[in-house]
Amino acid sequence: MSRQPDFSTAPRPSRVPAFETVAVAVGLVALVLAGGAAWRARDEARVARARLDGVRREVEAASVRLRALDASTRSGRPGLAAVDAEPARIVADVATVLPGDARLERLSIDYARGGAVELDVVARDASAWDRLLARLEKAPHFREVEPGPEVRDAEVRSLVRVRWVGDPR
Amino acid sequence: MARLGTRLYLALDASAVAAAALGEGLGGRRARGFARVPLEPGALVPSPSSPSFARGDEVRGAMRRALQGLGGSRVTLVLPDGLARIALFDLPRGAQPRDYVRFRLAASLPWPASETIVESLPAAHGRVVGAAVRRSTVAEYEEAAVAAGLEIERVHLAPLLALEGLVRSGARDAVHAVLGDVALCLATFHEGALVALRNRRRDRSSGEALRLRDEVGRAAAHAGNGTGPARLVVSGADAARLRREVGGEPSGRGLEGPGEWDDAVEAAWLGGLLS
Repeated sequence: MSRQPDFSTAPRPSRVPAFETVAVAVGLVALVLAGGAAWRARDEARVARARLDGVRREVEAASVRLRALDASTRSGRPGLAAVDAEPARIVADVATVLPGDARLERLSIDYARGGAVELDVVARDASAWDRLLARLEKAPHFREVEPGPEVRDAEVRSLVRVRWVGDPR
Repeated sequence: MARLGTRLYLALDASAVAAAALGEGLGGRRARGFARVPLEPGALVPSPSSPSFARGDEVRGAMRRALQGLGGSRVTLVLPDGLARIALFDLPRGAQPRDYVRFRLAASLPWPASETIVESLPAAHGRVVGAAVRRSTVAEYEEAAVAAGLEIERVHLAPLLALEGLVRSGARDAVHAVLGDVALCLATFHEGALVALRNRRRDRSSGEALRLRDEVGRAAAHAGNGTGPARLVVSGADAARLRREVGGEPSGRGLEGPGEWDDAVEAAWLGGLLS
C-alpha cells in the first residue's frame, strides 16, 4: 500500500484498513493451522514408519518360518505337528468321523504324548460302534486306533484311544 | 456506527461542507453514504495565509450535520483548493520527493518555509505533484473539526485527491479543469500522463467560461499538446454551468461523485477517490 499524503500538523501512524487487518489475521491463523497440521502429519508419518518396520520384521520372521516349514515338508515330516494343533482342530476332526447314532461323552487330548486322544463314546447299537471304529481306522488324521473294553447293553459304551497326526503328506 | 473498512471524509469549501463514507475492500472503494450541508456566503473563506473561518459556529454546525447520518466521528479532513501552493515537478534522479518539493517551493511561499507542511503525489514519468500549505492554516481547520467533536485521522487536499484520481485512472488527453469554490487546477494530460499543472484562484465574475477557455488553449499550447483545438474537461464546483457556457467545442464530463446522490456530482475530490 502506497503512503497517502497527510497534511496533519501532528501526523499519526497510518491506520491499516480493517479489511487488511482481518486479511492479515486470517492469514496468520491459516499459517498456524497449517503449521499444526504439518507437525501432526510428521508425527503420524513417524508412527507409520515404525509400524511399517514392525510389519517388515513380522514378514521377515514369517518368511523364515515358512522356509523352515518348507524344508520340513520336503524332508517328509507332517505339515502340522500334533503339539501345534489347537484342540478345536482335533475336536473338528473327531466330529467328522462320529456317526449320527453315536455320541461323544468325553474327549481328552494329551499333548505330552504326541497328540494321544481318548474318546468316551456311547453308540446306539453294535453296528454304530463298528461304523465308528471303521471310520477312525480310515480317517487320515488318526492312527493307532485302540478300542477299549465295551459295555454292551442295548447301547455300547466304550473308550477309544487314537493318535491325532494331522494332515498326512 | 462506522462499518468494517469504512472511512469517513469531511470536505470543506466556501459553499458547503460535504461528508462521504467510503467502504474500502479488496474490490476497491465504494461510496456508502454522502451528505452536503450548504454554507451561507462568507461563513468560510479559504485563504492560504489568513484565517478562513469567518463564522466558525456556522461551519462547525454544518460539519456536525453533514456527519449525522453517516455515523462515526473519525474523519479524514479534506481541505479546499485555494489554501496550498501546488505545482508539478520533474524529480531529479535519487531526490526525495518531499525534500525536493520543499526546496522548489520554499522561495515562492508567502509565509516562512519553516511553517510549511509539504506533501507530494507521484505522477508518471518521474514527475511529482508537490503541495505546500501553511501549518497555521491546517491547524485552524483541525481545531474547528476537534471543536465539532471530531477525531482527525488524516488531512488531505481536495485538489490533490482529484489529481490523484486522474493520474491513477490514466485520464484521457485533455486539459482537465478541477474547480474548487475559490481556486482551480488546470491539469494537462498527454498520452495518459500529467504533463502540466497550473493552480490559481478563481475569478467567478461574468465571463469566467470564456477566460477559462482561453486559459485552456494556453495550457495546451505550453504543454505541446498537438495543433488541434484543446479539449476541455471540467469537474468540480459549478462545473455544469461552466460546461454550458463554454459551449462550442463540447466539454467533457470529468470527475464526478457517485450518481446516487444528486448533490455529490460536483464533488471532484470524491470522484478522484472513487476513480
